[in-house]
Amino acid sequence: MVTGVGLVSALGENRHRTWERLSAGETGIRPLTLFPTAGYRSRTAAQVEEHRLDLTGIPSQALAHASRASRFALAAAREALEAAGLAPVNGADWAVVFGGGAAGLFEAEAFVAHRLARGPKAKGVVAFCEVPQDTPADRVALAWQLSGERITVTTACSSSTIAVGLGAELIRQGRAEVVLAGGADALCQLTFAGFNSLRAVDPQRARPFDRRRQGLSIGEGAAVLVLEREAAARKRGAKPLAVVLGYGVTNDAYHMTQPEPSGEPWARTLRAALADAGLSPEDVGYINAHGTATEQNDPAECAAYCKVFGNALARIPVSSVKGAIGHCLCAAGGMEAAITVLALTSGVLPPTVGCEELDPACPVDPIPGKAREKRVEVALSCSFAFGGNSAVLALGRAA
Amino acid sequence: MRVGVHAWGAVTAAGMGVPRLLQALADPSFAPRLELPRPDAPPLPVAVCADFDPKGVLPPLVARRLDRASRLLAVAAKEALQQAGSLPWPKEQVGVAMGTWNAGTSPLLEILQAVFTQGPEQAPPMHFPNSVANAPASQVGILETLGGANLTFFEKQAGGLRAIAEAWRLVARGRVAAMLAGGVDEAQWLNAEAFHRLGALARPGRPGFTLGEGAVALLLAPGGAVTLAGAGAASLPCPPHLYPPRPDALLLACQKALREAGLAPQEVELWVSLANGHPQLASLELQLLEALFPRHRPQVLAPLTTRLGEGAFASALRVGVAAAVLASQVLPAWPLPPHLETAGYEPARGAVRTALLAAQAGGGSAVALVLVRQQTA
Repeated sequence: MVTGVGLVSALGENRHRTWERLSAGETGIRPLTLFPTAGYRSRTAAQVEEHRLDLTGIPSQALAHASRASRFALAAAREALEAAGLAPVNGADWAVVFGGGAAGLFEAEAFVAHRLARGPKAKGVVAFCEVPQDTPADRVALAWQLSGERITVTTACSSSTIAVGLGAELIRQGRAEVVLAGGADALCQLTFAGFNSLRAVDPQRARPFDRRRQGLSIGEGAAVLVLEREAAARKRGAKPLAVVLGYGVTNDAYHMTQPEPSGEPWARTLRAALADAGLSPEDVGYINAHGTATEQNDPAECAAYCKVFGNALARIPVSSVKGAIGHCLCAAGGMEAAITVLALTSGVLPPTVGCEELDPACPVDPIPGKAREKRVEVALSCSFAFGGNSAVLALGRAA
Repeated sequence: MRVGVHAWGAVTAAGMGVPRLLQALADPSFAPRLELPRPDAPPLPVAVCADFDPKGVLPPLVARRLDRASRLLAVAAKEALQQAGSLPWPKEQVGVAMGTWNAGTSPLLEILQAVFTQGPEQAPPMHFPNSVANAPASQVGILETLGGANLTFFEKQAGGLRAIAEAWRLVARGRVAAMLAGGVDEAQWLNAEAFHRLGALARPGRPGFTLGEGAVALLLAPGGAVTLAGAGAASLPCPPHLYPPRPDALLLACQKALREAGLAPQEVELWVSLANGHPQLASLELQLLEALFPRHRPQVLAPLTTRLGEGAFASALRVGVAAAVLASQVLPAWPLPPHLETAGYEPARGAVRTALLAAQAGGGSAVALVLVRQQTA
């Protein structure tokens, strides 16, 4: 059961601000200021306003030398714990399960540049300590002295989706009483240059499912979901937000960056999630799509939805939030799961910001413009990543 | 459901393939080549896979599009799959779980070097897909058309053991029919130089660990002569680049693993040393053994990491070698390190039925695993 959500995005430094602006159809994609962008195809990104993060009460030991990504994770964890009304009193059975992203690479890039230019005595090598992808999880555990299992799974853009699924498994298997699940990722020159070199970025901003789309907009942020056993949460009087009903994880076994165009491998992931949750396609009321806005992703994804939901797809709204918060890479799945939880609790479905002229190859109801009021019982949050690593979470409204 | 090790492949500093590794383990004087070149500075003492050549195992066009870490893993995976023969399960029900500490670093550096020295427009697109840490596992999924869950775990030194433990649970719970599980790391100069400058690596006159490279792939599936019987994990929070001050997490992880396996500590016949030459890890290991085995001294499998190098792959390698020892395929001849010898521990000397192994990651996370040789009828 999800009892708390923390969210940091380019739209806002917490879940309230993010949700408010997302629902209004705003976008956080704007000119990137973190590093020079001259010479790139795109000069925009969904950049977090770091100075607005609320890190109150987080011990200095956890913050010292923490990377941007770790600070996003700490802020999101702080908000999630506060929302859940939890303060760890005995962290022995508290696990942290995160999706691993660029971690401290942004900070370490300055060292790499110095090393390449000035040789082996270049300054700043200490930044390398924050490069390992599990450092945001380490920092969150350090901040709240959590001594349960600590897992970082890295499957590119589905990393934190899988982290939420694995986190729920830890609860089911009795390996943890409380799990902080999600992930954080931060902009860096590697990912910005990489996606630009693939010509996978839109020079202006991402427009998922729109026929004029030209690619994604890279983003950054973090999400943390507090997962607890239902009985324990109810016993302490916690307000349940949603239930992780199940998840599916598969591999396309097709190509490192290209989706299989028929959508069949992704349909397999969707079916796996439904089966794990004991659901049929008719049970699903909303789909939070991967929706990267690349030429190839969106039609392949919609083809998968058509295969699984058939005619029922006409009544299932399908939206992508990547036109608003960007593609937050390894944090994307966790952030979208958090947004899906907020949709379930509020009875409001987020829009696909940037979708104005629906691509006929994407025959879905994308919720264009602004959020739509609709109470749904079951929603899917979908991530389809580099390397064919696909993951789908099935989330239910808490009773 | 009992899940066991059915086959395995390995590429290490001892050579390509499990037979070369077992040969090296039987040779007390084995010493790998410790030399990793780097620009503008002398080579670093890293245990490299010096004779690694995927020619003859991977088609040239495939090998060319893979980065080194992916090539290492692809060769290890091929060995495991060939050893297993034709798989009895649909390939979409076979998954991959790998641990890594540095996969993707070389492609990452290629891109950054191009951006910093030639300009953004010169970033080579072909390297970007391999700059993600999950590239080796994903490339193996693609090459072998394995459509089950494909997961990469990043838990520093413990990544390989974590991957095997989680893969075991996936198979045991029926989420997949089988998993290729293990670990992979490449020897990468920037990474090694950073450890060197931060004082973690061994150098003349100062103890420390030796980084290594390699890949290990174990085929886990129902049944088998050597099975995984229990796993446990815990952590003791500390800054990400440090070992924890006490062995609490290691102890708890081992206790959880033994509890799940239904074994008492005195039933552990083989302890697989996790020592890597770093004095703090040696101290943690000794404290752990004293706490875990107050009245009992299991035989000890000498540390592999001191010679073959540290990495996420190394914790997976320990599982493969322990399974081989349990199956009586090898009796390593490497000596114990001083901290264990002085404390009166003795090296593995004969047939054993149960083995306990663990890994301690910087930042405080620890994972443990129990292996059991099944009685034959």
